[in-house]
Amino acid sequence: MNRKKDKGFESPRPYKLTHQVVCINNINFQRKSVIGYVELTIFPTVMNLNRIKLNSKQCRIYRVRVNDLEAPFIYNDPTLEVCHHESKQRNLNYFSSAYTAAVSAVDPDAGNGELSIKVPSELWKQGDEMKVMKVYIEFSLDQPKGGLHFVVPDVEGSMAERAAHVFSFGNQNSTRFWFPCVDSYSELCTWKLEFTVDASMVAVSCGDLVETVYTHDMRKKTFHYMLPIPTAAPNISLAVGPFEILVDPYMHEVTHFCLPQLLPLLKHTMSYLHEIFEFYEEILTCRYPYSCFKTVFVDEAYVQVSSYASMSIFSTNLLHSGMIIDQTPVTRHCLAQALAQQFFGCFISRMSWSDEWVLKGISGYIYGLYLKKTFGVNEYRHWIKEELDKIVEYELKIGGVLLHPTFSGGKEKDNPTPHLHFSIRHPHTLSWEYYKMFQCKAHLVMRLIENRISMEFMLQVFNKLLSLASTASSQKYQSHMWSQMLVSTSGFLKSISNVSGKDIGPLIKQWVDQSGVVKFFGSFAFNRKRNVLELEIRQDYTSSGTQKYVGPIKVTVQELDGSFNHTLQIEENSLKHDIPCHSKSRRNKKKKIPLMNGEEVDMDLSAMDADSPLLWIRIDPDMSILRKVEFEQADFMWQYQLRFERDVVAQEEAISALEIFPTPASRLALTDILEQDQCFYKVRMQACFCLAKIANSMMSTWTGPPAMKSLFTRMFCCKSCPNIVKTNNFINFQSYFLQKTMPVAMALLRDVQNLCPKEVLNFILDLIKYNDNRKNKFSDNYYRAELIDALTNSLTPAISINNEVRTVDNLNTDVRLILEEITRFLNMEKLLPSYRNTITVSCLRAIRMLQKNGHIPSDPSLFKSYAQYGHFVDVRIAALEAVIDYTRVDRSSSELQWLLDLVHNDPVHYIRHEILSMLAKNPPFTKAADSLLCNEALVDQLWKLMNSGTCHDWRLRCDAVNLYYTLFGLTRPSCLPLPELGLVLNLKEKKAVLNPTIKSEQGPGGPEVTTTMTFTSTLEEEHVVMEPALIGVAMAPLGLKRKAETPLSSSPEPGQVMQEEPSAKASVKSKFPTQEEEDIDMDTVHDSQAFIYHQLNMLERPSTPGKEPSSVEQAMLSMPGTPMPTLSKESTSSKHGDHHHHHHHHEHKKKKKKHKHKHKHKHKHESKDKDKDRDSHAFSNSPASGRSIRSPSLSD
Amino acid sequence: MADSVVMGSGSLNSGSRSGSSKTSTSPTENYQLARRRTLQVVVSSLLTECGFENAEKAAMETLTEMMQSCESFPYLMQVTCFNVDTLPVYAKRSQRMVITAPPITNAPLVPKALIAGQKRTHPTYIPSHFPEFPDPHTYIKTPTFREPVSDYQVVREKAASQRRDVERALTRFMAKTGETQSLFKDDISAFPLIAAKPSAIPYLSALLPSELELQTLEETDSSEQDDQTDTENNSSNVSQDDQSADKENVVLPPGGVVPTGKANEENMIDNPYLRPVKKPKVRRKK
Repeated sequence: MNRKKDKGFESPRPYKLTHQVVCINNINFQRKSVIGYVELTIFPTVMNLNRIKLNSKQCRIYRVRVNDLEAPFIYNDPTLEVCHHESKQRNLNYFSSAYTAAVSAVDPDAGNGELSIKVPSELWKQGDEMKVMKVYIEFSLDQPKGGLHFVVPDVEGSMAERAAHVFSFGNQNSTRFWFPCVDSYSELCTWKLEFTVDASMVAVSCGDLVETVYTHDMRKKTFHYMLPIPTAAPNISLAVGPFEILVDPYMHEVTHFCLPQLLPLLKHTMSYLHEIFEFYEEILTCRYPYSCFKTVFVDEAYVQVSSYASMSIFSTNLLHSGMIIDQTPVTRHCLAQALAQQFFGCFISRMSWSDEWVLKGISGYIYGLYLKKTFGVNEYRHWIKEELDKIVEYELKIGGVLLHPTFSGGKEKDNPTPHLHFSIRHPHTLSWEYYKMFQCKAHLVMRLIENRISMEFMLQVFNKLLSLASTASSQKYQSHMWSQMLVSTSGFLKSISNVSGKDIGPLIKQWVDQSGVVKFFGSFAFNRKRNVLELEIRQDYTSSGTQKYVGPIKVTVQELDGSFNHTLQIEENSLKHDIPCHSKSRRNKKKKIPLMNGEEVDMDLSAMDADSPLLWIRIDPDMSILRKVEFEQADFMWQYQLRFERDVVAQEEAISALEIFPTPASRLALTDILEQDQCFYKVRMQACFCLAKIANSMMSTWTGPPAMKSLFTRMFCCKSCPNIVKTNNFINFQSYFLQKTMPVAMALLRDVQNLCPKEVLNFILDLIKYNDNRKNKFSDNYYRAELIDALTNSLTPAISINNEVRTVDNLNTDVRLILEEITRFLNMEKLLPSYRNTITVSCLRAIRMLQKNGHIPSDPSLFKSYAQYGHFVDVRIAALEAVIDYTRVDRSSSELQWLLDLVHNDPVHYIRHEILSMLAKNPPFTKAADSLLCNEALVDQLWKLMNSGTCHDWRLRCDAVNLYYTLFGLTRPSCLPLPELGLVLNLKEKKAVLNPTIKSEQGPGGPEVTTTMTFTSTLEEEHVVMEPALIGVAMAPLGLKRKAETPLSSSPEPGQVMQEEPSAKASVKSKFPTQEEEDIDMDTVHDSQAFIYHQLNMLERPSTPGKEPSSVEQAMLSMPGTPMPTLSKESTSSKHGDHHHHHHHHEHKKKKKKHKHKHKHKHKHESKDKDKDRDSHAFSNSPASGRSIRSPSLSD
Repeated sequence: MADSVVMGSGSLNSGSRSGSSKTSTSPTENYQLARRRTLQVVVSSLLTECGFENAEKAAMETLTEMMQSCESFPYLMQVTCFNVDTLPVYAKRSQRMVITAPPITNAPLVPKALIAGQKRTHPTYIPSHFPEFPDPHTYIKTPTFREPVSDYQVVREKAASQRRDVERALTRFMAKTGETQSLFKDDISAFPLIAAKPSAIPYLSALLPSELELQTLEETDSSEQDDQTDTENNSSNVSQDDQSADKENVVLPPGGVVPTGKANEENMIDNPYLRPVKKPKVRRKK
């Protein structure tokens, strides 16, 4: 991780994995279960390897053998339930640190794992010879909640006829959910994969299909795959189903799979994949690294695209026929992304989590190059601007996104991102939104690097990485070359400096090692005397998510005599920059104006300031800084920029700027752009909305027909009868998109009464009426859907008289017309469903809008029926969105409950995820405002959801955390009653609130607690919480007063060794092997838990108030006159009697270690522990853990 | 298949310029003779097509014999080992010879009827021995009713309102006969919505084009559609083969795996998913 002295890759494990066999010999669709075994071939890298830690979740493990000897094992997964004790505090700060610690405790990148296998002592002595070990694990999965997803439609017929299928999925490294492995991107090995499935099914997996063999009863067949290229376990996947097979007609080694009946769509969708292949191979000057490639389209996909070694799994909803326009670019984007990730992400893996940005950056960057080549420079620049705007908005709102976090040694206390309510230490603790933004920023930064070193060098670097990797991939593992297939930040940067000879250090420091974006404010004055442009560029670098920029910045000035680039230097204290102008103001001469691209154009210069030669000014036109620019220039300058600047980004910026200049001149500029068919269609689409906005601002002075109406008529209506739209012909995509967008924008027009003008509404209704698609070779489903959206946009709040009940009779006439259309559309959809049910989606939104505006009774039941499982996913999402909106507006607790139940029970992971993220976007209430919905039961429910209810899906857990944060903030939710005893502390505000209910018990002194006192005691108490984990650890000076037993500490078992493990983990890696030797005791069931407590302490945030009510109680009942120690002792002895007991055991344990009991003996002890475990822990009661812990360990 | 029928039975004359018009024998014999003659014509035209300029009589006879024998067809297939699926393509080959119709030995006397108007001549693609067009009055439309409104606006107007009426009537009917949902509590019959029903496989109806859409597509662009179906046919041939191979393998005992792959050697694709499934290895033990 330390970039300076990066010498290859150091494994955190005391062994090296070289080969793994995964054999799944039974997949039962009825029961949704899987049985199989794995065999890992490992080479110990230390003497006396006595313990092997692997990752495994959900799997029931039957037996473990090492070199044919039965080996005892322990299964412990602290992420199943993050906070083990009934924690009344319920604060997110606490949860986040505990969760991070839990994830660290099983993090394979730190050498940890849920499954700990003791190597039989017979094999210990082999250490000298470094002999190979084979670890054989038999396992099964029953109704997996994560890792593998079964889709079993409820219809008649065999599983194949029912299109039942199963596929692997997960967020980041989640392979441990479906087979035991080293679930790290940096542990590469070769693979042998075997899947026995029903004869009517196909099993698609990574690598080459060597052969397919029938079982003896001929009812099943076994697919044998070999993957000779060293691959990390997270890049292994599986899809089994009655797939239709399509061999790519252009590339026979590429095979596509889809569900039954969809073959025609698959053929069409895949007809251009070869072009993407060719493109990447050409720019990377490197062949696709695997010998084959497979695409599988599955239903109920977790994400739209997921890439694995030599295969990608897509959502089946990306498939489309040739009639569909809108889906085509979307699907192509997805395919291009998937393929880019094949090179960078699958073939080349990452060394550690902090190197993730390199992979995401490169794959995103080459994907961008593909976009540029296929969809054109305009599309590409538009996309870059869009992505830039996105990241800027996110960082300014939420806080910085850090690409390359460094966690220096054990000092986890300095959290690199204190502004976030989650930790960025692990991919599994990140919010989904953050991760999306992370990827966005990564590819933007790659583009910045390209700007700096040129694309040629950039591609050379990629080629170098790939050729190194492919050389390494063909080597035997002994050559230690495999780590060349892992990319690291330092390796990447070194490669860049070798290839380009340029130092990009400052760039990296600015955008990679540091979070935040730059916020510029620009304004200017023209000094006529000096003929100088005085430009002022200020920065805001104090707000959250911003950073200070020092360095060059490009400014482009369009003058009468031409366009000129200037590179200014942004320095510490200089705000003003003088830019000499080239032209005198002399616009009397009729002369063409030269533009940046060499073109010379005539301009009407009458709008200009007579004294100034300046047409427009652009700051950082190439987007070579991650920034937001707020630039002030006169409206006519924006108009010139819109009309004459050829860069689409400049045009889009001008359009956004013109929104605040509602003048006839702006109107004219926008209309002209709308009419120009050479202009990029997305710019024209944006101009529609801007025009609607300024038309509304100009309402009183607006002349002529409503904005865009005559334009639309001219472009799309019949010459002979202008009120009737031409029959559809979407052969020209640009005008198709414009035709779709204009009505939607027009519907936003408002008249003096703030209603949509009658003329506009009738116009839209006519469009619907006369819509005729019979002669069109393309489907008009998206067009019709947008016409419904237009109707929705035309809606305004109903005039309500005394809150009358909405009935059919008092329905507004316009609304009646709208409602009739919507009813008809929605009903027709049942008979002739549209592609992806776009019409239904739009209708549901329209109905919700009608409800919200008080035209029809507000009622969620319709949406709830459409939200059911069994509707198309887009429809469900639209319906859920409406229910969520209803929940907020009507403050309905029953609907909120219904939604949360769905989060628990819905079969589709994506739906669960969307419910939580939509709830966070449109929350029923927020921490800022009081709400009746905010009550203790809800807090409990959400707490449970993130604490244990979502342990099978990292993404969902982070979604739950996000929602919790949105609703309650970081601290204890305000709706909770104050703890029974003691005070609630808020360290941030430095105040304490004494629980009113216990005021009397506190005695007269209670309320007089001083702020200072509160503060100090809080500090103490924070550390007290951690005490048991801290024995012998560096944190000691702060809080080790052995004065209080905390609720947490009761979870470690009596007799458990707690001391070495945590410190071992926290210590520097190099220390690891020695630590490991000491730590050979297998009975440390809860060592990882102990680790958590330790971590918790380290990660402590200063703002954390009292952790636990009981600790608060101990620490805070320091009423004047009551000696604190006494009280603490009392509480200790009364509440946690077994505390001392625990310590005894602890000592006893140490002795035992010296004696080196035989392992059988230990095992007994261990099982005893387990029994207790079951009885005493909430932890062991959680379903998954309970099962695994109880699973037999066959050591006898 | 259709074309081969034309060759086999439809052509009852042809180049047998020998012009032997002995029609004295019995009808069955006559038929046999005619059939043999036709077969000879077929054989000779095939040979000409293959590039032969002349052939020995004996060889001709043998080939004709082969064709005549009732088992010849499957036999031929076995000999030449060709794929039936390629037959339509073969039948449509550009350089094929068209065998003209046999002369009608004794043309039936057609009573000269009244001819009204000018008869249409055959278009080029219809062989001349096909029956002539009937008199024009039998098929030419007679404007006996009021001229339909051809004003574009009115047509559009009509089409739009007609469609709307149909849709409304249809949806109302559906709503009346099935379960509905309502937006209003006071008047459930107003704006009835056909109830949302979950389906077991929702993506099928959402992704596959509806029949109506397919139909429109056919109507709008026939030439392009042709292209599309052509390519589709070609490629689906391949994959159907695969599927059938797959299915056969499933059904058939492993010994009887038909070498379907060999049939289309020219577009044989070596893809592991198309390879036949192997038999399990017999274990020595037990």
